[in-house]
This record gives sequence, C-alpha cells and structure tokens, in this order.
Amino acid sequence: MSTTTAAPPAPERPLPTPTRESQPYWDGMREHKFMLQHCASCGKVRHYPRPVCPHCFSMESSFKEAPLGGTIHAWTVCHHPFNFFFKAQAPYIVALVDMDAGVRVNAQLRGVAEKDLKIGQRVTLAFEPVNKDVTLPFFTAA
Amino acid sequence: MAHELREKAAISGIGETAYTRGTPKSGLALQLEASLAAIADAGLSPRDIDGVIPYFPGGGIAEDFIANLGLPDLTLSAFIPMGGATCVAALQTAAMAVATGVCKNVLISVGRTGYSGARVSTRLQQFPQFALANEFEAPIGMFAPAQLYAQGARRHMQLYGTSARHFAEVAVVTRQHAILNGNVVMNKPLTVEEHHASRMISDPFRLFDCSLESDGGAAVIVSATDRAKSLRKPLVTVMGVAEGHPESPASIAQRPDLLEFGLVKAAARGYAMAGVGPKDMDVAEIYDCFTFTVINQLEILGFCKKGEGGPFVMDGRIALGGELPVNTHGGLLSQGHVVGLNHVIELTRQLRGEAGKAQVKDAEMGLVTGYGDMGDGSVAILRRAA
Repeated sequence: MSTTTAAPPAPERPLPTPTRESQPYWDGMREHKFMLQHCASCGKVRHYPRPVCPHCFSMESSFKEAPLGGTIHAWTVCHHPFNFFFKAQAPYIVALVDMDAGVRVNAQLRGVAEKDLKIGQRVTLAFEPVNKDVTLPFFTAA
Repeated sequence: MAHELREKAAISGIGETAYTRGTPKSGLALQLEASLAAIADAGLSPRDIDGVIPYFPGGGIAEDFIANLGLPDLTLSAFIPMGGATCVAALQTAAMAVATGVCKNVLISVGRTGYSGARVSTRLQQFPQFALANEFEAPIGMFAPAQLYAQGARRHMQLYGTSARHFAEVAVVTRQHAILNGNVVMNKPLTVEEHHASRMISDPFRLFDCSLESDGGAAVIVSATDRAKSLRKPLVTVMGVAEGHPESPASIAQRPDLLEFGLVKAAARGYAMAGVGPKDMDVAEIYDCFTFTVINQLEILGFCKKGEGGPFVMDGRIALGGELPVNTHGGLLSQGHVVGLNHVIELTRQLRGEAGKAQVKDAEMGLVTGYGDMGDGSVAILRRAA
C-alpha cells in the first residue's frame, strides 16, 4: 500500500460556455473589445445576448464595439468562496456597473478599497485573458 | 364583482417532517413522509389525491407519487419552476385546478436534503433559469444567491440608510419565534451582537443574514372550498393568490431597479383578488432567504413606504405581540429551508388557531409570500372562514 497521497486536483475555474447568440461577445473579449448586440431594425442595445429584440421583435442584429467607461450602480464584497477556485482571491469586490453604452456589467473591481466605494463612482472596463479562448472583464478605477 | 377564484379553494391539509441538519433519508422519502402527514391532517386517503405539484428540480416527480402512494387516477401533474416563489405560486395553479373541477385534491410538496445532500451553489447550476448567470456571472466569481442578492441590499443601504442593525432585528426576532415552535433547526437565542460578530458571507450579508441549509419535507393539500368544509380541520380559504415575474427575469444585473421584482406585480393582483389590503393582515409569513429580503418585501407589500423597511422592522413591530408579527415559525432563517412551504403551513396553523406558543391572538387573515429564482414573486392571502 502506498504511503504517499496524491495532491488534490487544483479547483477548476468556472468558465463561460458561449452560445450561438453570445459567441461574438466572447470573441470580442478575446480581442480586448467590449462588443454589444444591437437590433438591426430599431437599433436598441441588448445584453445579455439573445435571439429576439424585446422592443421590436426583430431577429436581425449586429455586434458593435462599445466604450469602456461606466459608473458603479451597486457592489458586493465576496468573502465566502462558494467555489473553491475563488478561495485564494477572497475577499474580492464585484461591482455592478451602469456602462455608458446603456447596459450593465458585473465584474470584479480591482485597485479600489472597500471603504472608498460609492454609487456613481467612475470605473473602466479592462480585459484579463484566463486561457487561449477565454478573456474575462474586470474593472479598475477610472 | 368579486374575482372568480376568490375563496373557491382552501388549504385542507398540512404536513411536515422534522427539520434537521443531517438525515439518512432521501429527499423523496422526506417529501413523501410530509405528504402522508398532510393527507392524514386533511382526513383524506392517498387515493383521494388527483393532482400533484412537486417542487422541481429536486425531490420526486408525478411518477414517484403514483408509484409510492398508489394514486389511482392523477389528472394534473405540474411543475412551477420559480425557485423560492414556487410554493406560493403553486397555490394559484392548485386553486385553478380545484375551482374548475379538474382536480378534487391537489398535493403540493417539497423534500430537500439541503444540508446532507448537494449545497446551494451546486444545486443552482442545474436550474435552466440560471444559464445566463452561469455564463456571465459565475466566471467572475458570482454564483450563489447570497452574492447575487447582496448588490441590491447594498444599494438599499446606500440609498436609504438601511443598516446591519435593521438586518439583525429580522434575524433576532425570527429566532425568538423559532424557539417557540419546537420543530426547528436553530433553537438557541440569538443576540444583535452575535449577528454583528458572525462572519461575512457576501457584504452586506453576514452568516446570520442567510437562510439555513437544512434537511426536511413539507406538504399542503388544496381542495375546493365546498369539499374542504366537510373535511377534518377548520376551513382556511385562499382569498387571493398571484404570481409575478420581473423584468430581466434571468439576470438581476440587467434589471432596471434591483429592488423591484415579481412581487410588485403579484401583490397588486393578490390584494385585488382578495379585495383587502395590507392593513387587514393579522400576521405575515414572508419568504426570508435573507434578512434584507424580508425588509424589501414589506415595502413592496405596502406595509411601509419604499426605503422605510429598515425602521419598520424595529421596536417589536414584527415580533409576536407587535403590529404585524412576521415569520412566527422561525422561517428559512431559523426553522428550516423547505423553499417556503413551511410559511404556507405556518399561516394555515395561525388561522386555524393551532400555532401553539406562537399563536397570534384572534388571527383571522394573513399573507404569505414566495420569492426566488432571481426575482420571481408570489403571494397568497388566506382567511379563517369557519
């Protein structure tokens, strides 16, 4: 019987599984571009990506690059790692941001102290490659 | 003219298992044990059940109920996939079924091994309603309801001055009620100081702001009012019942107002159907996945104005003997987490006069809410009719 124990496998990072609707968003992330879906008929932006425009019911759409600025709408500071992958990062701030492009983005906010957080604060979206296929958004102070 | 469904259905039976942390039983076994208790409470036989609405996903499906209870002729099998809003919304479906004669007696039941089985962050991955959250929010570190709902709570605090002291009051009062119940997971007193000292889960939610991961089962029987009159227990009728779905139902992040969700629509319809308002309520069982969720719903239900829920819960107002006793059984925070079916059971007990040490004197009418699935809402207004 072996007396050594194998090291436990490293916890896996949860990764997005792009859909046919969301693929252009994730392709954009990989190229460090914030791509948002716009209705080809009425022009309204929608996020997260979906097949039909809920305003005019058009199924035609295109993705356009959007600006990276926004303001904080709300936040939480995650202390308990509900997934073991995030244990090393905790506590981490997740900011919900009203993007200037007219949608919201939830992403980690780095480089800002918890005590300095306030609604309306300006932040900028940045890009963090996590593997060759996936790049995730995060925020920094503007 | 009165709503067609008003008082056409009644809660004729209630049943629950022991609420524990740890059990050798399966979720299905807990669900069936509670179901048999509810059927017996109504004075019915399992053969009398012709509709089943099991909580889903998790626990049994119609086939399990037929196989275990020998149901001879099931005429309705339905799932209501609304997370924590499911159980109260199921009352609406059941009421429609018995009022129209599609069913005679509908069984709504939950069985859950939330402590000894899969935990919340694992369970939610299986919900199709969480697909967008899984794709866009889990990768950045947001999985669990405690995280997803925390941002709304934080915003409420920043906008209205709601504080951890207000949250603590909900936790402490709920615990006081639980201790009177007996069948609860948390049976020791909780102080404001202990609440404030408990570890942070996802700011602003501390451990004692979060509902329990527990094991247990619960069930209720809904029968037509005319039929329920001749059954064993005092008649408790469904005066009003409604479900509501929010804007951006699968993503809290994209919802225009984080503090308005399905209950806004459901409450308006539920009160209208019942022909009553918040001032008519003697007791309220409010879905308490988090302390803040109670505060937010009290505002939406019209017990106070938007932003005033924090001060509203103070000074004994929501405790037994107060203006509006809330969660007189100990709720999801202290009794056990069976997705709020225990709230329906407690309201029925209060209106029957069976609530023991937690009995609200002369309780004649009350409401119960469900809240879940990132913002679905449901409400039922029940009345003692006998």
